[in-house]
Amino acid sequence: MSAMEPDLSVELAGLKLANPVMSASGTFGYGTEYAPYLDCSRLGAIVTKAVTLEARAGNPPPRVRETPAGMLNSIGLQNPGVEAFIAEKLPPLREFGVPIIVNISGQRIEDFVRLAERLSQADGVSALEVNISCPNVEHEGMFFGTDPELTARLVAAIAETSAAPVIVKLSPNVTDIVEMSVAAQQAGADALSLINTLLGMSIDVEARRPHLGNVTGGLSGPAIRPVAVRMVYEVAQEVDLPLIGMGGIMTARDALEFILVGATAVGVGTANFVEPASTVRVIDGLAEYCRRHGVPRVADLVGALEGT
Amino acid sequence: MPRAVAELLHREQAAPGHYLLQLRCPEIAADAKPGQFVHLRLSEGLEPLLRRPFSIMRTEPREERIWLLVQVVGSGTGLIATHDEGTVYDLLGPLGRGWRLPRANETALLVAGGVGVAPLIFLADALSVSDLGVYVRSLFGAATNEALVCWTEFAGRCNEFTTATEDGSAGEQGLVTEVLARELERGDADRVYACGPPGMLVEVARLCAEYDVPCQVSMEQWMACGVGACLGCAVPSAKGPQEYVRVCTEGPVFDTTEIAWDRMRP
Repeated sequence: MSAMEPDLSVELAGLKLANPVMSASGTFGYGTEYAPYLDCSRLGAIVTKAVTLEARAGNPPPRVRETPAGMLNSIGLQNPGVEAFIAEKLPPLREFGVPIIVNISGQRIEDFVRLAERLSQADGVSALEVNISCPNVEHEGMFFGTDPELTARLVAAIAETSAAPVIVKLSPNVTDIVEMSVAAQQAGADALSLINTLLGMSIDVEARRPHLGNVTGGLSGPAIRPVAVRMVYEVAQEVDLPLIGMGGIMTARDALEFILVGATAVGVGTANFVEPASTVRVIDGLAEYCRRHGVPRVADLVGALEGT
Repeated sequence: MPRAVAELLHREQAAPGHYLLQLRCPEIAADAKPGQFVHLRLSEGLEPLLRRPFSIMRTEPREERIWLLVQVVGSGTGLIATHDEGTVYDLLGPLGRGWRLPRANETALLVAGGVGVAPLIFLADALSVSDLGVYVRSLFGAATNEALVCWTEFAGRCNEFTTATEDGSAGEQGLVTEVLARELERGDADRVYACGPPGMLVEVARLCAEYDVPCQVSMEQWMACGVGACLGCAVPSAKGPQEYVRVCTEGPVFDTTEIAWDRMRP
């Protein structure tokens, strides 16, 4: 590396990341699916698909549908359960040699606590991302993320149990996301991820029925990016925690929007479906931007927004 | 790496609303097996955003060419009509699990509905040049004679060929599954291979179960990643009352016994 190479490393909730670019939960499987298409060892971190205590079958199809500049999904947290995850998915993930952040979801506070106990001490798990914001399952997930008191109780219980840093993933489907982020911070969260998908719906007018088997789904992709950037901006004003920004990031320019308004790291999600190597392209693009602007460290750009 | 770029060499309208694409793509022409698909990016912009999956209709490895048959169903596939020769596509593939070939000297019954003919032409092509000695009898159904898209390419690779149209404009009047029921009653088909609209596949699966003839179907589903990560292209699995399988990875070709047909959305 020449002296002119920008330093892309960032520190987040005690984790040292080689660069600020992660996969967003649910869009990168358990890593191995994408291994033929990119060098996964280059990612700043890999965030897994959600893991629950027991295996979950997921929602009835159709589960995905394209919408203008985005897509709706209602996968329904399909996953093999925590024990199968640890036995089958975690060992190959460890081989990539990058921090592994495991996204966890549950129905009751006790579920999350048991997941945190089991996973935070598992070999190769660097941090937990608590999914209190999935819009596709009833009476769980988003249920916690839309009530500040429930958010606080849940986060406090997990933070007390977890041996690994706790990242809380917030839902945009609330009146005031700042209120939720403050609650998570006070309860002991180490970092925040935002945003999860926006609840949406799409109709087949010929058949007069919803496109998705589960009727509604989560909207992701470039269509939601301005909403996500605004929410990261608002939260960054009010909390001191490091933020992981995500929502429709396709390119390094998109990632920089989030970084400039205050995100320490970014998640690349739907873009992986379009271009499997999107994450490494964003990493390369960040380096190019730093070189072009004479910025020695990408961390110098975090919250470096001017003119507000 | 299962991805490549492909140059559009030739595009022609194969039927109203259907385009036949000839692409130069040495990697996929060399590696693809009948029943596999490619996941093709139709635009570098945001419309459409996601890739679109297409069954491979035929390969010519020595000429480094592949053929795709595309039905225009929305704005994404509609873009194909505007693409000139020389257009370069980014594609993932060959993807998925293809047809399991018949055993030597068997009689294979191929059942196609509309644009579903594409992966069956690839299968018929492979069987016609193989030394398995398989007898290929094919049934091709569509709403009208115009929708019997690429029927000459199909017929030319089969030992026997029957068509059916719903309006009677070509071949027998009626559904191709009615012809299939008669063929199965005859009792000399060793296995059935089918691709077509969901309603047709449900009936094909029902008939093959009734006559106890092994059957494979190539299935379609809305798909995001194409590589097995997003779990978006799930279809109901026969493994359990709530199990699912992925069209992109476990499929697109399934044994009909692998699918829970009663849980398919009507």
